[in-house]
Amino acid sequence: MPSDKFRYQLRQEAEHWRRDGLIDAIQYQQLAERYQFNTLETAARNRFTLVLIGLGSILVGLAAITFVAANWQEWPRSVRMTLLLSLFVGVNTTGFYLWRQRYDSGAERWQQRLGQGLLLLGALVLGANLALMAQMFQVNGPSYELYLVWGLGVIAMAYSLRLTSLGVVAILLLGLGYWQAFFNWRTLELGSIWLSWLLQYMPLCIGLLTVPLAYWCRSRVIFVLGAIALISAFEGNLSSGAFGYGRMLIGTNWALAIAFALPPALLWAYDDTFWAERGQHRPLSLEVRRPFQFLARSLALLFLSVLLYWLSFHWFWDGQATYYPTTTNPATFNALWVNVTVLLGVALLEWLYLARQARSRSPHRPVELSTPVMASFIAILAVLPFLSLGGEFMPAIATLIVNILLFLLGGGLIREGIASGQRRIFWLGMTLLSLQILSRLFEYSTGLVFKSLVLFLCGIGIIAIGLWFERYVRTLSVQPLLSATPTPTEGENS
Amino acid sequence: MTTLSASRTLPIWRFWLPLVCQAALILAIPSQALYTQITGRTVILKTVPVDPYDLLRGYSVTLNYDISQMSTLQRLPGWAEFEKQARMNPDVASGSFYLVLQAPKTADAKPPQHWQAIRISRDRPANLAENQVSLRGQISNNTVQYGLERYYIPEDQRDEINQNINAAQANRASQPIVVAVKVDAQGHAVPLSFWVTLGKASAKQTYHYQF
Repeated sequence: MPSDKFRYQLRQEAEHWRRDGLIDAIQYQQLAERYQFNTLETAARNRFTLVLIGLGSILVGLAAITFVAANWQEWPRSVRMTLLLSLFVGVNTTGFYLWRQRYDSGAERWQQRLGQGLLLLGALVLGANLALMAQMFQVNGPSYELYLVWGLGVIAMAYSLRLTSLGVVAILLLGLGYWQAFFNWRTLELGSIWLSWLLQYMPLCIGLLTVPLAYWCRSRVIFVLGAIALISAFEGNLSSGAFGYGRMLIGTNWALAIAFALPPALLWAYDDTFWAERGQHRPLSLEVRRPFQFLARSLALLFLSVLLYWLSFHWFWDGQATYYPTTTNPATFNALWVNVTVLLGVALLEWLYLARQARSRSPHRPVELSTPVMASFIAILAVLPFLSLGGEFMPAIATLIVNILLFLLGGGLIREGIASGQRRIFWLGMTLLSLQILSRLFEYSTGLVFKSLVLFLCGIGIIAIGLWFERYVRTLSVQPLLSATPTPTEGENS
Repeated sequence: MTTLSASRTLPIWRFWLPLVCQAALILAIPSQALYTQITGRTVILKTVPVDPYDLLRGYSVTLNYDISQMSTLQRLPGWAEFEKQARMNPDVASGSFYLVLQAPKTADAKPPQHWQAIRISRDRPANLAENQVSLRGQISNNTVQYGLERYYIPEDQRDEINQNINAAQANRASQPIVVAVKVDAQGHAVPLSFWVTLGKASAKQTYHYQF
């Protein structure tokens, strides 16, 4: 059903048309039936009633909360528990049945929205229930456990009802729990063993929980959040001795190589059809949709940009040899090994799949350059940590290599942005290049006059390129900018 | 539209199943506490004075036990072995241990006598004597925790409890605050009540608060 505003205008117009003789009474009647002109007044009245009811329920709710707060301590524990649980069940059930009504009648959109809002509220009430129960029964759990359990509860509901909003809330809660534990790992309180396992296997668990949910809900937001959560949890587990890893892989060159190279490799080679083929063994047509490949590749580029920029400072490589103690204890079984092995395995399979696809590609399609370039970037990043140990000049060489890579990435992004007329990629490349120039300028001490000259030239250059790009894109006009969001299959690999 | 017709038959269990799971998560908290309260044995723990500003945080009170001090644990038999094991494999559940507590000789004092820590071990001790229990704890970064450190206190009692605790800590009575907890077979503990003793031995007053 179109919006009320449109129907109002249409009714007005239709009346004009009938008066002017453009349409006859039967046609007007047909229009009126199709767009249900007669419900327009009742819809307005309904909305007014809804506002009144909403206002009233807020006041009643406030009254209830005040009443509960006034008597909370006096009531016995069983009454408090009953109250909490019935609130939890009540809010969720009301939300579900209201939300479900959209399937019975398409017009009632406010009920669906209200229902979804109540289901979200129900997710929050779940957290309040967990916290208050712990308080009532004097259970002294660490706060990260609350967030983890809460997130797991919400994600179950998100899967079952196929609700994107709940999925987003669940990922945020799991992330909150993970990072709370991460930053407080030195003072981790007495917690349950199950949840400490969850923390140790967080990269794998979050991947298993969010990637299928993204497909199930067809949600790009969930995919992006899930991918970010997976990569950041992986880096977190790798970079610290948290969660009882001791110091086994941490700080070694192997750990650095994996931390640098695995995330972009995993993200760049991500292909939605990879899972489909694994599951069903059906021949792939070119039209198979790849809803998330473009997102994964964008994230890979973003990761590379940030990483290369961070590594381009010379202090990172200078301190390398003495910065980390390299004590290894490979005898012990370690959750980190499992995480690394599984993710490395998936990345390898993805690249093999990509290579096989490239071989079977029809010859008249243009040759992709970006994937080989990415592969060499990743390979160089994986080798760099070993190089930096080589000798006296090695830190300088490593810094130089990273700066060259960063420059190439910035330039490549600008070129790609121009070629495909995408502003965002172009400006990402621009930002990278200018950041690189500025950082190098302030990092190494040179004369002020020289600095000002370089700054001036860079500024003029960037303005000129920017203006030229905007004009070039406008005159290009083959593809209007609004439709410049790339099709999932093509992405940026042209 | 296929999605609409598919969703039209969205079965009810798709809502009730996750809701029941969520409710189970909620109820797991009181059921664990109730299990410990029902099956556990009552143990009395002695607290040590802490900074009063650190003690009271909003709605909760923080208690520091005699057995929460590293110096107490380090004197116990089994400490050297525990430390050696902890150093050898640092990645097993980071520093969790079991503390064996033994009941006092005099059972019916008021306030009750506290239990004595007699042994520490990394694994749960198997055959304990009749008058002993094992309590699970964790050491991380030189802080010892048993999950018994923080209590929420009712609003109407808060001022009175705070005053009494502060007074008891100030006049350094021989045993100012003792806490009764229940410890179950797995070593989990929940607090039951605590006693605050005011005044010197000649004219002492004892207050008993239930959690």
